[in-house]
Amino acid sequence: MIDLVRAALALAILAPLLSVAAVIGLVLLQQRAPSERAVSRLVGTGLVTSVVCGLIVLAGYAGWFAAPIRGDVEFGSWLRIGDFVIPAVLLLDGISITIALFSAFLTALVARFSRTYLHKEPGFVRFFTLLGVFATGTQLVALAGALELFFAGWELIGISSAFFIGFFHERAEPVRSSIRAFATYRVSDAGLLIATVTTFELLGSARFSAFSGAAALPAAQSTAIALLFLLSAMGKSAQLPFSGWLPRAMEGPTPSSALFYGAVSIHAGLFLLLRVWPVLEVSMIARTLGVIVGLATAVYASAVVRVHTDAKGALAHATLAQVGLILAEICLGWTTLALIHLVCHAFLRLGQYLKAPNTIHDSHRLGHEHREIGLLERWSPNLASRVYAASLHRLRLDDRIDAVFAPLLSLARGIDRADRWLRRVGSFDRSSG
Amino acid sequence: MNDMFNGMTDGLTSSLSAPWESLAFCLLLLVAPAIAVSQKRRWHLPSLIVGLVVALFASSGTVAYAAVAFAAIFHALDAAPQSRTGAATLAASAVIALAVAAALYFDLLTLAFGLSLLAIALRAGVMPFHVGVASLCDHAPVVQTQQLSSTIALVFVHLRFVDHHAAAIAAGPALVRYGAVAAFTAALMTLVQKDLRGFYRGTTAMHGGMLLAGIGAASIGNFAAALLVAVTMGLALGGLGMMITSLEERVGRVMFSGPGGRVSAFPKLAAAFALFGGAGIAVPGTAGFVADDLLLHTLWMESPTGTVAVILSSALLAIATLIAYSQTFLGKPASSLAPDLYLHERVVALVLLVLLVVLGLAPGVLLEPADAFLSGPPTGPG
Repeated sequence: MIDLVRAALALAILAPLLSVAAVIGLVLLQQRAPSERAVSRLVGTGLVTSVVCGLIVLAGYAGWFAAPIRGDVEFGSWLRIGDFVIPAVLLLDGISITIALFSAFLTALVARFSRTYLHKEPGFVRFFTLLGVFATGTQLVALAGALELFFAGWELIGISSAFFIGFFHERAEPVRSSIRAFATYRVSDAGLLIATVTTFELLGSARFSAFSGAAALPAAQSTAIALLFLLSAMGKSAQLPFSGWLPRAMEGPTPSSALFYGAVSIHAGLFLLLRVWPVLEVSMIARTLGVIVGLATAVYASAVVRVHTDAKGALAHATLAQVGLILAEICLGWTTLALIHLVCHAFLRLGQYLKAPNTIHDSHRLGHEHREIGLLERWSPNLASRVYAASLHRLRLDDRIDAVFAPLLSLARGIDRADRWLRRVGSFDRSSG
Repeated sequence: MNDMFNGMTDGLTSSLSAPWESLAFCLLLLVAPAIAVSQKRRWHLPSLIVGLVVALFASSGTVAYAAVAFAAIFHALDAAPQSRTGAATLAASAVIALAVAAALYFDLLTLAFGLSLLAIALRAGVMPFHVGVASLCDHAPVVQTQQLSSTIALVFVHLRFVDHHAAAIAAGPALVRYGAVAAFTAALMTLVQKDLRGFYRGTTAMHGGMLLAGIGAASIGNFAAALLVAVTMGLALGGLGMMITSLEERVGRVMFSGPGGRVSAFPKLAAAFALFGGAGIAVPGTAGFVADDLLLHTLWMESPTGTVAVILSSALLAIATLIAYSQTFLGKPASSLAPDLYLHERVVALVLLVLLVVLGLAPGVLLEPADAFLSGPPTGPG
């Protein structure tokens, strides 16, 4: 049974990747682009295989046919040089199986939906290729037993997300939005990378199973690591002050918006915090900050969602409000509630996003809901109008983030000018840039 | 008896395979541009190959550095018609390599170490020693790709012959900090470039800084990490340089004045550019990811602040790479009569990409023999 579960674990991650490799092979070998049917079948097979493997893993974990298999499942080492080892280890526990299965199932579902939705769309092959990359990333994130593998999956999710946002690249706005989302990801990913290296050095291993040793660390060290994990989760899950990229991310195709920003990717930051809970648990500062950020994001998103006029933008902020609440739940220590909330929320939002294009049709059929005067408007019309105005420009979050990074860009331009001068002075060429 | 035989076999394999593997990467980088880009002067290739073989297999540091100098002179001759600054830099690095050879002959290890670092800084384009390499990137991109091969050889020779003594260990933390600052500065500069060549210049300088930091951390035993960084830098930047050259042969100089919309005209070129760029910013599944991960762990031992600076540099370079890709390939489709990548260009790109992926998925192929070989005393390969 253990061999079957090991094979299923590996295949759950690799099957989507192999399907992507097959699509790339088709593209390279054929003179003309492969047919939609071939591409959707190849990637679809990879995704369904991932779901089936997830079920086998679940059977192994629950012990349906033999003794239950739990904890670290070893696949040797990715890299070993002297004492330094990057282990190829996957982790089987309740959280990992829940996330792996539900994300595999939702991705397969979205792939089936997209086959019709994106029929004759010029980027059909690109969409399915990215979907396969994303599925590999989510499975890796869900099942990784060490931070290095987790980070690899985390990066794949980020990269596919950026390319999905810029999917309709003929227009300038999606491209700008994809760069902004990617920049936010990379800056917050730096936090995860620093936390990975620090954890390895302090605990002697980046395995999640070694995180129980975090309690023995000095408070300053465990707090620093917990804050870095929190920073990374805030970026990936679009929590304040990094919320600006989420409404921009709605530029992508609806199925990818549903999968990324309704169901799976937006919850990845929360999953990270569940995964590193032993570190977070011992840091009261990080937990308090997490609760404040989560609740503030929930309030902010609830205010913005009331003034949004487009369906996907409103849904994005509604999602954000719930994600903020889940973050607060995790930091309060209600991890089981948070996991249940996360999964239920993902299913609900996926359905709502996929139905978003029908909103106009539905509103014609069902009529518009009459807007009631809110409690705040009755209590303080002045405050209500201020909240309304602030919500309309989303607290100018993007402008504020730009202002923070403006000095860095000025420094970059200064360095570039100095470099040009240096190259002009030190050049023997007739003309130099 | 059996154990002894196994030990001898393992020792032989490890001591033989490290130079052989490095040679394979170097040769690939040397020959690839000659195949992919229509290089007219190929007379120097056999001489360069001889130089690389001698450098990698010599059992004496003096001979190895002399061979590196020999190769640099040929690169300089090749670069001279297009980039006098680049040629002068390569010639200067040749003279310095000869000085290292002389220092090693007279057993002046500290002097050899310092001069060897200077030669590496010139060849890898570490800021502010990057003027020559920047000129090569601008005016002689083919030579730049080819000289990356002998830069790998130079790093190999440095790690093998001059990085094993007390001065190298003492200089480690300072080198790591210097390399990290150089990488961060270059990454910042790359972020605000206005053309594709500028992006390539900045990316090269950023990787140069990372390489120097890796060499700084190598002196306490992390030799394989530094070699992997050098090889990844060669493969990723070499591939990126060739793709940029191929694109500019078709459409002229690429300015970042707005989305270029070239992906519909050159889909394969765009894909190859994205993959090489991805390898350069440590996308999982490529050698860049493992190189970065390994490098960061080794840097941490010498300087945690330097490590943070390198991580931030990598993040900035990733953003710059996406901007460059967007400005070059995305946007409203631009029509072009020029063809996409030719078969020979595709084959070269594919080989480099496969190597990047193989090293990314199974880095032990290079790292384990390299670690076993370079960690030992600086003696002959077999």
